[in-house]
Amino acid sequence: MKILRWLLIVGYTALATLPLLWMALTSFKARDDAISQHPRFLPMMEHGNDPSRHTFTPTTSSFAALSDVHAGAQHSFWSYLGNSIVIGAFSTLASVLLGTLCAYGFSRFRIAGAKDWLFFVLSTRFMPPLAVVVPVLMMYRQLSLTGTQTGLILLYTVFNLSLSIWLMKGFLDEIPRAFEEAAWIDGYSRWDAFIRIILPQARTGMAVTAVFCLISAWNEYGFAMTLNSSGAVTVPAYFAGLQGNIDGMPWPQVAAGGLLFVVPIVAFTIFVRRHLLRGMTFGTIKQ
Amino acid sequence: MSVESRRLKFAFIGPALVLLVLFNVFPLVFNVGLSFTNAELIGSEREFVGTANYTRIFDDPIYAGAIRRTAMFVAFAVGIELALGFSLALALRREFRGKAIVLTTLLVPMMLSPAVIGLFWNLILNGNFGIVNQMLESVGLPQPQWLTDRDLKFTSILLIDVWMWTPFMMLISLAGLNSIPASLYEAAEVDRASTYTVFRRITLPLCAPLLGLAVLLRATDALKQFDLVMATTGPNDANTQTLSTLLYQVVFRDGKLALGSAYACLVLVLVIAVATAFTRYLEALEKRPA
Repeated sequence: MKILRWLLIVGYTALATLPLLWMALTSFKARDDAISQHPRFLPMMEHGNDPSRHTFTPTTSSFAALSDVHAGAQHSFWSYLGNSIVIGAFSTLASVLLGTLCAYGFSRFRIAGAKDWLFFVLSTRFMPPLAVVVPVLMMYRQLSLTGTQTGLILLYTVFNLSLSIWLMKGFLDEIPRAFEEAAWIDGYSRWDAFIRIILPQARTGMAVTAVFCLISAWNEYGFAMTLNSSGAVTVPAYFAGLQGNIDGMPWPQVAAGGLLFVVPIVAFTIFVRRHLLRGMTFGTIKQ
Repeated sequence: MSVESRRLKFAFIGPALVLLVLFNVFPLVFNVGLSFTNAELIGSEREFVGTANYTRIFDDPIYAGAIRRTAMFVAFAVGIELALGFSLALALRREFRGKAIVLTTLLVPMMLSPAVIGLFWNLILNGNFGIVNQMLESVGLPQPQWLTDRDLKFTSILLIDVWMWTPFMMLISLAGLNSIPASLYEAAEVDRASTYTVFRRITLPLCAPLLGLAVLLRATDALKQFDLVMATTGPNDANTQTLSTLLYQVVFRDGKLALGSAYACLVLVLVIAVATAFTRYLEALEKRPA
């Protein structure tokens, strides 16, 4: 039983991490080493030229090549990363602000049909992007928002509102009402009490919510590729564009770009690890 | 209530709700209208064509096929993830040195972009120079063409999804296991209940509500499956087409806007059914005595 247990843990840990380690290793290879007939997994400076060798000379050339414009794209990787950063940052900011306000309303005011509204909010998350993208596309064409950063920022703000409202409501519900009530007695208006008393208390919740909004905007692909296939393209849509010819893929560069793209997410995951359960379940499970 | 505080209330909840209605309800209504026309992606002319689009969808087996395939995907991916994730949680239940690090490491795949990671799986699973087949070759096992064999590619995509999402099931299972009071196990020990009985009568029933929540969350997500298919076999592969990738193909590759809208309407009926089941379940869970 004990052996079985460790076999499962060790085996699955290997399964979960090896693909990502392989990506990291590939990013330091030359293209020939990345698609050799025999797997090359040992980085070594000195080795022979035997075609069946398992060693490769590590190089950072794939990272340098991220500045090149590859077939299937119009700019270098960095320009797309810039789009991802701007769109992710602004949409996260807007989602958390609007979501916190809305969640506070639901947490502290009597609202007719509050439950139904909250379930409506949650159900918006279940919509497949491809099923709502056509009307959004036509609306965006009228407003000249297709292919702009503003367009995706607006869309991701709305897309993440469900997450932000549900998470923030959970966090705000945990702040005792006595805090605000004391402030009202001291002569604060409701709004002032919210700004000066509640917001500072909700800081951790807002930070956690921001991380989850950022990750979901960062990874989003369906809207990104349909609304912004030519302008203000984000990294996931950029990578998809390289796909034309699988054998001609610049694998080390894909690995290098992919690595740079996921490293911040791994860092954020570690940062919010204690809140992962809550974040991934819209706050429906609290611990 | 005074006008003042009514205004304040609206200031809090108004902006977010208005945006949500604008971006969700409006597209639904618009889609329904569009689905009875012959609108195309290019050009703005359109005529009313009645239910022609719907007739076409019901006549062409490709549409029902994508629905069936997506349903299979939801059932098998979520099922395997649940079984594997729950087993892992059972294995990881007891404390050991470095548990926190192992847990965090295991959770990483579910946080990553499926579009980007899915693309890299093309290299890992490549039939000629992929590391998986090279490993299989070195131990003398057959080397399948994971992403090009027509009978295998959808299974391969499903396995990538399992790789990404098993950690999610593990995370929720662990929460369920941790919430079981130790006193129950102690009582079972006093009663000399067998390991199987303990699992069947204590562990499983007490975890079930959270597992149900996990299954519904994953199911609504798997129903949208788009990124992995796009990153591996693309939207126009009859063997791997899901609801979302078929929609992409119809609207953005074939330019059949109205046809896509009609299909989107049918898809949404499905999604709303699952979403309703989910919210009902959540309400029932909340009412449950703790």
